[in-house]
Amino acid sequence: MQNLDDLQKVLIIGSGPTEIGHETELDSATVQIITNFKKHGVRTMVIDNNPFSVALEEIQPTNMYIQAVTTANVRHIIERDQPDAILPTLGGLLGVRITQELIESGDIGRFGVTILGMPAATVRQINNPAALNSTLKEIHEPVIEAQVVGTEDEALGLVESIGFPLIVKPVAPRLDTNRTICENVDEMLDALSQGFSQSRFDQCTLERSVVGYKEVEMIAIRDVADTKILIAGLENVDPIGIHSGDSIVVTPPQTLNDREYQDLRDATFRVISELNVVGVIHIHFALNPDNQHFYVTKIAPYFTRGVALAARTTGYPLAFVVGALLLGQRLVDIKLPSRFIKQTAIMEPTIDHVSVRIPIWPFQEIPDADQHLDTAMKAVGSTIGIGRSVEEAMLKSVRSSQFSPRDVLPSVSNLTDGEMISQLIHPLANRILVLIEALRRGYAPDELSELTKIDNFYFVKLQHLLKIEKQIKDNPLDVATLKVARYYGFGDGMIARIWQTDTATIRGLSAEADIRPTYKMIEPTAGEFDEHASGYYSTFEYENESEPLGDRTALVLGRGGNQLGPNTAAEYFTTEMLKQLKRAGYHTILMNTNPNAIGIAPEFTDKQYVDPIQLGDVLNVIQVEHPDIVIVPGNRHYLTRELGKLELNLHVLPPDQEIGRPQPQRATIGVSLFVHEQHKIAVGIMDMIAPGMNQTIAQVTAFRMPAELPKADRLRLVEQAKQAVSEHQLTGMVQVLFAPKKDSKQLEVVGLRPTRLTEMAFLSKVTGINWVRMLTRQHIGTLDDAELSAVKIDLNSQRVALMNAVFPFRQLHVLNRPGTTDQEMGATIAFGSSEALTLSNLSDTEQLDKIINRTI
Amino acid sequence: MAKRYLILEDGSAYAGEGFGAGATTSGEVISSLNLLGYQETITDQIYHNQIIIFAQPAIGNVGINHDSYESILPTAKGMVVRDVTNISTNRLSRLSLDEFLQQHNIPGISGIDTRYLVRKLRKMDGPVKGSIVDVADAHAFDQLNATVLTNRQVDQVATPKPYPNPDTGKNVVVIDFGLKHGILRQLSERRCNVTVLPWTASAQDVLNLDPDGVLLSTGPGSPLDLGEGVLEMIRTVQAEIPLFAIGLGHELFALANGAQLAALPVEYHGSSHPIRRIITNDILYATQGQGYAVIGKSIDRDRLITTYVDLIDGTVQGLRHRDYPAFSVQFFADGAPGPHESRDLFDEFMESMTAREG
Repeated sequence: MQNLDDLQKVLIIGSGPTEIGHETELDSATVQIITNFKKHGVRTMVIDNNPFSVALEEIQPTNMYIQAVTTANVRHIIERDQPDAILPTLGGLLGVRITQELIESGDIGRFGVTILGMPAATVRQINNPAALNSTLKEIHEPVIEAQVVGTEDEALGLVESIGFPLIVKPVAPRLDTNRTICENVDEMLDALSQGFSQSRFDQCTLERSVVGYKEVEMIAIRDVADTKILIAGLENVDPIGIHSGDSIVVTPPQTLNDREYQDLRDATFRVISELNVVGVIHIHFALNPDNQHFYVTKIAPYFTRGVALAARTTGYPLAFVVGALLLGQRLVDIKLPSRFIKQTAIMEPTIDHVSVRIPIWPFQEIPDADQHLDTAMKAVGSTIGIGRSVEEAMLKSVRSSQFSPRDVLPSVSNLTDGEMISQLIHPLANRILVLIEALRRGYAPDELSELTKIDNFYFVKLQHLLKIEKQIKDNPLDVATLKVARYYGFGDGMIARIWQTDTATIRGLSAEADIRPTYKMIEPTAGEFDEHASGYYSTFEYENESEPLGDRTALVLGRGGNQLGPNTAAEYFTTEMLKQLKRAGYHTILMNTNPNAIGIAPEFTDKQYVDPIQLGDVLNVIQVEHPDIVIVPGNRHYLTRELGKLELNLHVLPPDQEIGRPQPQRATIGVSLFVHEQHKIAVGIMDMIAPGMNQTIAQVTAFRMPAELPKADRLRLVEQAKQAVSEHQLTGMVQVLFAPKKDSKQLEVVGLRPTRLTEMAFLSKVTGINWVRMLTRQHIGTLDDAELSAVKIDLNSQRVALMNAVFPFRQLHVLNRPGTTDQEMGATIAFGSSEALTLSNLSDTEQLDKIINRTI
Repeated sequence: MAKRYLILEDGSAYAGEGFGAGATTSGEVISSLNLLGYQETITDQIYHNQIIIFAQPAIGNVGINHDSYESILPTAKGMVVRDVTNISTNRLSRLSLDEFLQQHNIPGISGIDTRYLVRKLRKMDGPVKGSIVDVADAHAFDQLNATVLTNRQVDQVATPKPYPNPDTGKNVVVIDFGLKHGILRQLSERRCNVTVLPWTASAQDVLNLDPDGVLLSTGPGSPLDLGEGVLEMIRTVQAEIPLFAIGLGHELFALANGAQLAALPVEYHGSSHPIRRIITNDILYATQGQGYAVIGKSIDRDRLITTYVDLIDGTVQGLRHRDYPAFSVQFFADGAPGPHESRDLFDEFMESMTAREG
């Protein structure tokens, strides 16, 4: 271990592609930590193969390792570039696991690499439940006794002493697998056989089940001097038995009394001290609501979605502070950006609002997955709602998660009573709507609480919302009712639907009666100090704290919670766009409800509004800010249309993907051109690969550039593409699609479309030119001729790049199969010589995976 | 629920919905920034004659519980909240916050922009009087302006008679200035055999009980209003017996040893300030509830040592006597509500009692 002051080179283990379990929050934290390291003169290197990583845009190419995040690749980088330290905690559990393997192999010791964030002993324990449990027992931390078994017989011998339900979990799993709850011997044997195969040691643990307990998560930080701060407590509305990533989460905890909360805080501090973690920790607890006993159920000393939520909801500069802690700074010494009062880093955050996070599931795109919520996480994204009452926060969050273009909540009133009861006990993705429906049908809160193990309190709150809904129904166009409705989080679209009128009428009534939103700052001192934080949320109260940013402002509407499809790429696009707008002298304002979004970090925007991205809420923000330009994402057709009726300088970015012409059935080659006035720059010619499938365009989810074509053919295709573009009106980044003619190898133009966001990111990474920047500048009118003329792209590069989509099929336990573009979760990218990246068979998915994840 | 108003002496009025008792009350308006623990807060006697604004918006969520009382008869003058939930988790009777407040004739008002008020109070100079009323008319303001808040808070909340809290361990005398039960719970956990004495007890009264230690409790109001008698008692007792003082007790301990106090421009009630323990440089968090602070410069360094300091406002948070086993903290070491990490001060107190025997 060397003195942290001497650190010069740090290798960050990246998180790889977006998958179930982590999305853009790790990239977001990485960006902020790199920024902080830079300030301290530390050279940061990153290994990652996520083509949509914003972090990779933030560092010099020489510090960038676009490689699969594997132990072998990390070892090679250590050998070759000799970093002083590695940082595992931004790579999620994978980062910790790789670090553990490097400790075991002796590489860490051999190269004298410091592990930032935790000692080697802790790294080992995090991946070994038995060792972790014995440590916890030493400090008298209540843990659920886990017994390690290597055979079915051993397990059967323990069944009697543990009792059902019990939980089976693989030891040192190869993947971020989960616990399986077993009610009987058969289920246990099934879980064991799966668990043994996932374990690196062919072992599983058995433990008592605490299904039905409350699940509470605590996020804390610690510095080298053992000063600890609790950042936030997160209460899962759903009980243990539903993965916390699939549960509705509320912060601050609402149904804990102070003693329970403080006991968990104490336990959190004991654990973080015992494990000697410097930086952030995220601990899960199972709390028995009847007797206040609790167990530690999961310890994550690294960045997680819970950490992101804690940061977003408190306004505490968490990633910034953790960056400083990792370099050995003490909390008392940390100097924050000027928008904070100077002691904010060392104050324990306290807040005066409520945040609710609701997951988003991928079942619309993958309908054949088992939609029951259980101990394996299935959500791919989430949205948050922030308000000054639980009702308001909850309703805002529901409005964003159960997304409808017109801001109307879907109904599940067609369920039979039997179906409803079954779904109350075995919840599905529409959980929250079913809970509301049950109340609507007259079930009492305590009855439902008994059935679902959800605290009575939440049913009382939902019931209150129904009461307000009834008041709305009973009092059409009544101003006093409108005031109540808005106060508790009802959207203009919802109210309009109930009153069978339009949003404009609702807004007219509100304006007449002076029912205006008041924006409150998201800051960590609950009003004790005049912070100048940049995050706001709306409510309907007395004081508005949000002053317009002033001249030259750009309001950017985010895409909300992550879903399948090009969403991670869209996040990359939006963030890069925000950077360009800022660079062009705009004050940038972002509206978004995705707590894991990258662009929502104050590093990228001057101001953020965490409010539903719905017409009424957007108009409210526009009324405060009077932005010079408004940017709507291309997938929001209704919103675009409605905003288009107003006198706004409106731009659609990222571009609408559905304006291609014609939409071809199949394509094998795509030629991307950047089209601006007389310029038609050929940016890339790529093979369009549909792994394992026939070549229909929806199945094209892998790309290789440059395409394997003779040089002459490439030139010819570019000429044809330019010709095709001239005949159409498309500008910006256009992709011309080619496919072989029937019964011939001759390629012909089959369609044109805006280059998809995923491919746009790919093109930027491959050409080294930021095409989002170009496109943004084209829209705001700052693209200059000379710059475009100067662009030189080698279409015949010897360096080949491959990009392959990542799908959530394995985690959703649907049969392994090729996916379609609207089922994409993320992607991986690889560079190499044409030999290294040659695919002998374009449809061989295994070969594709192997090449992308190869050891460099 | 009925429409009611919170009015402040600066002439401002805030409409909300009444809950709890329908009484019209006046008091000093303060704000509490703690995330949880509304029951502990409302029952803490330091809030005697005060109207408490809660920064955390959702209040009442866990009802009223048997183990969250800091006193049995709360004497606060009101609760101002954004949102209140009428719910009970009590096993025997369905006691919600609303019913509890009704029983104790304390009014509550919800639907208030409490964040605005927290921010506003911070900018107002000195204590602010307010009322919870049915009608915010000139009469109500006249009444409010005519209200003179008592300075005899301790008299009104502290026990007039001694009572025991028996156990088998150390013999501890607690002087009650408005004692919060958290202190008794900490002593109970350490098996202390406690006798609670009224704050008017003389040194002789204390010494007659032959205690192993004396604890000066928390309490409401200004320590400057309690007179010389209690300071004399402290000076005599600290020379004989290990002493531990908390909150108002700490302020009195400081006065008894020659230090001076200043009223804070705004009372602070919260638990987010880092407090440095000077001897070890550790940082801890604890619930603080203070309207006064010991003036650092006034401390006679031949008699007292500063042991804890608030890193945010620089206030003295702990003192120790140079010559006697007597020490004090401004913050609430029992942690109810609030963080527990300063509870080891009770262990320190136990050790000082043991050392004396030694």
